[in-house]
Amino acid sequence: MSLRSDIETLFTKHVSELTECADFQALESGQASPEDYTRFIENVVRSHLRSPQLLAFLFALAPPDVAGSLQHNMLEELGIEEDSGIAHPSLLKQLAIGAGLTERLPELEVLAAADISQLVVDPLLYGTLKEVGLAAFCEITAFEFMLSRVAGRIARVLAAHHGLGPAPLEWFTYHSEVDIQHAEQGLDNLVSYIRYYEFSEEDALTILEMTLRENVFIKRYFGELSRARPVTEVES
Amino acid sequence: MKPVSATIYALQIPFTEAFKHSAKERTLCDSVVIRVRNEVGTEGFGEGVPRPYVTGETVDTMVERLARNFWPAVVGRELPALRDETDLDALDALIPQQETPGVLSDNASRAALELALFDCVLHRQQMSSTQILRPRRQRVTYSGVVTAGSLDKALQHARQMKLVGLKHIKVKVGLEDDVARLRAIREILGPQVSLRIDANGAWTLDQAITLLNELASCDIAAVEQPLPRGPVVDLVRLKQATPVPLMVDESLITLADAEALISHQAVDYFNIRVSKCGGLSRSLAIARRAVRAGIRLQVGSQVGETAILSAAGRHLAAALEDLAFVEGSYGSLLLTEDISVEGVRFGHRGEAPLLTGVGLGIRVLEDRLRKYARKVIELH
Repeated sequence: MSLRSDIETLFTKHVSELTECADFQALESGQASPEDYTRFIENVVRSHLRSPQLLAFLFALAPPDVAGSLQHNMLEELGIEEDSGIAHPSLLKQLAIGAGLTERLPELEVLAAADISQLVVDPLLYGTLKEVGLAAFCEITAFEFMLSRVAGRIARVLAAHHGLGPAPLEWFTYHSEVDIQHAEQGLDNLVSYIRYYEFSEEDALTILEMTLRENVFIKRYFGELSRARPVTEVES
Repeated sequence: MKPVSATIYALQIPFTEAFKHSAKERTLCDSVVIRVRNEVGTEGFGEGVPRPYVTGETVDTMVERLARNFWPAVVGRELPALRDETDLDALDALIPQQETPGVLSDNASRAALELALFDCVLHRQQMSSTQILRPRRQRVTYSGVVTAGSLDKALQHARQMKLVGLKHIKVKVGLEDDVARLRAIREILGPQVSLRIDANGAWTLDQAITLLNELASCDIAAVEQPLPRGPVVDLVRLKQATPVPLMVDESLITLADAEALISHQAVDYFNIRVSKCGGLSRSLAIARRAVRAGIRLQVGSQVGETAILSAAGRHLAAALEDLAFVEGSYGSLLLTEDISVEGVRFGHRGEAPLLTGVGLGIRVLEDRLRKYARKVIELH
């Protein structure tokens, strides 16, 4: 198999795990509680609010043949690629407000900033910037890949079971299945990055596997739900 | 200063991936954390990890021991001021020495309470642990551990650890394919990386002699716990029959164990783990004794420990002389979420800085403890 198809297989596996996990199924079937929908939306907002910064980091490391595409993505995220553009963080805030989370928004912004801060403060696992960049590139591309396959489905779920209208759901529309070409480009860019910086295929796949050693989609979107819903017994 | 209340949290934090060795497969952290508070609300956190096949403790026996015996013995007692590491002995002395039927030692429970009291006193004194356990090094270098999963998984782990630049790697053995596994891993890592193996007591004496003689060609720095905990003379026989240096883990729980191993000159290395050995005071006592006897040290860890035990292990490792290897501080590499503000996991080459903040040097997130607690017990 080619490197590109190896990566696609890895991403596809993670997307399947997401859509097959109990929490996603509960959202989709309408069996989740209103609080679960709310927390899911909070997690989506928190996960993506700082995406322009991460794209800017990737842009800084981009090989020449990828730089144009990443620049386009970054400017699109910032809402300045075209005159009528809207910054994607604004769309996420629109989602939060539409979901009745206006008062929670400042805290979500603080949490999103803290997530970036943690990335910067934690000791780096890798010895070179090209490796750190590959791990970041992998995670961002994986999210693009997943959203291009699932975002529309999530939007329909939130419309049907959480009563959200088209305006709050616009962020999902931007990243939905219609954006599949964008995600395909992301895969090509990732492969170009690996080639440009002369990774061996084995090292590249090892870094990708480490980055995706746990399901980052489930962790980011449902971390507050599925991974920690203990039956806590309190005694005195 | 007197401790007046405590909270016990029996945790279950999922792992990012299963961790397997010859005796057990784990998918989550089952630490027991205790928070103590003094009369003015100063807090300290401690942690112990019960292992039935090591000290004989379980989560239930730990919670029971802490709630019914250890906490009543310290609540309302004046805690000693801390000036240097010898004062740790006074903290340890507050915790009663008791025997629990079916339990080899209550060391994980002792460690949890000792660490919590230590952290609490340091917070009251506004001191860092590094002012008590004086560091001999500015960075601690951790080993990686290749778990005993499938061969493919083990080789994948080895490749990952090589990319992370780890200088010391331990491989879990005691499997059907030990020889092939070690040879393949050595080939991936190359000759520069120091390689140790850990059988978790999976071998008989005869098996150990045969396998170690075969594995010696892989340039093994040490074999940890080749035999089950048992007669020291078996380790003496093994030491005479193999060129691979021996390290004890499950055979080294108490100071009495250490004395017996030393008097028989049975092994080359001690693996000291804060939870297994009953806290910092007792770990230091074993370490001092080992150094005097010319035995080299590894500061080990409990699989799935949280930032509390990782911090304690780092302070211990930084303070010991003649330290050969250090394990632990996997933090978010193993736990889906750790419980402190500060990340404790090591970085490239396994290196991690000293934790110089007040107390153990980490700020524990109480809401995170509650989030992952299967059981919470309030004590007054």
